[in-house]
Amino acid sequence: MSIASDLIRGHTDTIILARLMGGDNYGYEINKSIQQKTGGKYELKEATLYTAFRRLEQAGCISSYWGDEQTGARRRYYTITDLGRETYSGLVEEWQAAREMIEELMRTEET
Amino acid sequence: MDQRLRKHVEGLFEGTAPTKKAVELKEEMIQNLEDKYKDLIAEGKSPEAAANIAIAGIGDVSALIEEMEKGATMPNEAGRHKSAMLTAVAVAMYIVSFLPWIILDSLRIRNSGTLGFVITLLFVAGATGLLIYNSMTKPKYYKEDDTMVEEFREWQSDTHDQRQMRRAISSALWTVIVALFFILSFSTRMWHVTWIIFIIGGAIEAFINIFFLSRKK
Repeated sequence: MSIASDLIRGHTDTIILARLMGGDNYGYEINKSIQQKTGGKYELKEATLYTAFRRLEQAGCISSYWGDEQTGARRRYYTITDLGRETYSGLVEEWQAAREMIEELMRTEET
Repeated sequence: MDQRLRKHVEGLFEGTAPTKKAVELKEEMIQNLEDKYKDLIAEGKSPEAAANIAIAGIGDVSALIEEMEKGATMPNEAGRHKSAMLTAVAVAMYIVSFLPWIILDSLRIRNSGTLGFVITLLFVAGATGLLIYNSMTKPKYYKEDDTMVEEFREWQSDTHDQRQMRRAISSALWTVIVALFFILSFSTRMWHVTWIIFIIGGAIEAFINIFFLSRKK
C-alpha cells in the first residue's frame, strides 16, 4: 500500500480539485468521498487536507465561504474557480502522460 | 459529547494569536471533526472510540497553525509604523511648544507674551489632534457574518480601540494640564494657588473614565 499512499499524497491537489468539479463541498465530506472511493483503504490526514485547501486558495484555484446551516455549527465550503478547472485538466493530462511513461518503463521486454 | 473534540482542537491552538485565519481554521476543524464523530457513532462505534478515531485522523497541524499566525501579523507592520511616527511627532510638538513662548518672552517686545502663548497653544492643539487622529484611524475589525466568533472578535477589537483612545486622551490631557500650570504660574506668579490645576486634572480624567465605562455599559 505504500506506493499507493505515496502516489495519492503526491496528487492531493488534483484529487481535491476533482472532488470540487462535481460541486461545492466541505472538508469532511471531501475526505469521506476519498475514503469511500478507495474502499476504506485510504483517507487523508486532516492536516494534509487543510494545507492543500490553503495552498489552492492562495493560488486562486478554489475559494471558500461559510455555509448558512440553520442548526448546529456552520461549515466552510469550498468552490472551484475557472483557474482551478484549468489547473485540474492540466494536472490530469500530466498524470496520464506520466502514467503511460511509467507503465512503459516497468514493462519487461518480450522477445 | 463533542466537548472532547473541541477541547482537543483548542489545545492544539493554545498559545496561538487569535487571528482571523487561525480562528477560522479552528472552527473548520472542529466542525469537520464533529461530522466525522457523528458518522462513526452512526456506524456503531462507542463515543470513546469515535472521539479517538476522529482525533487520530487530524495528523500534524503544527506547521499549518504556525503559518496562520505569520500571515496575519505581516500586513499590520506598515500600520504600526505609521502609528509610531504620528505619536513621535506629537510628542516632539509638545516638547517644542514652549520654545516660541520662551524665545518671544525673552525678547521683551510688547505683547510678545500673548503671541507666544497663542503659538504654544497652537502647537499643543496640533499635537493633541495628531494623537486623537492616530487612535481613530487604527483599522477596526468589522463583522463579516453573524457567528459568535465574529462577534467576539469585533468586541475584542472594539475594547482595544477604546483603550487606545482613552490612553491618547489621557496623555493629551496631562500634557495640557502641565502646560497650563506653567502658563498660569508664570503669568500670575501665584504658585501657591496654581497647583490646584492638577487636582482638577485628576477629576477630569475620572469623568472621562466614567464616560467610557457608561458607553460600554
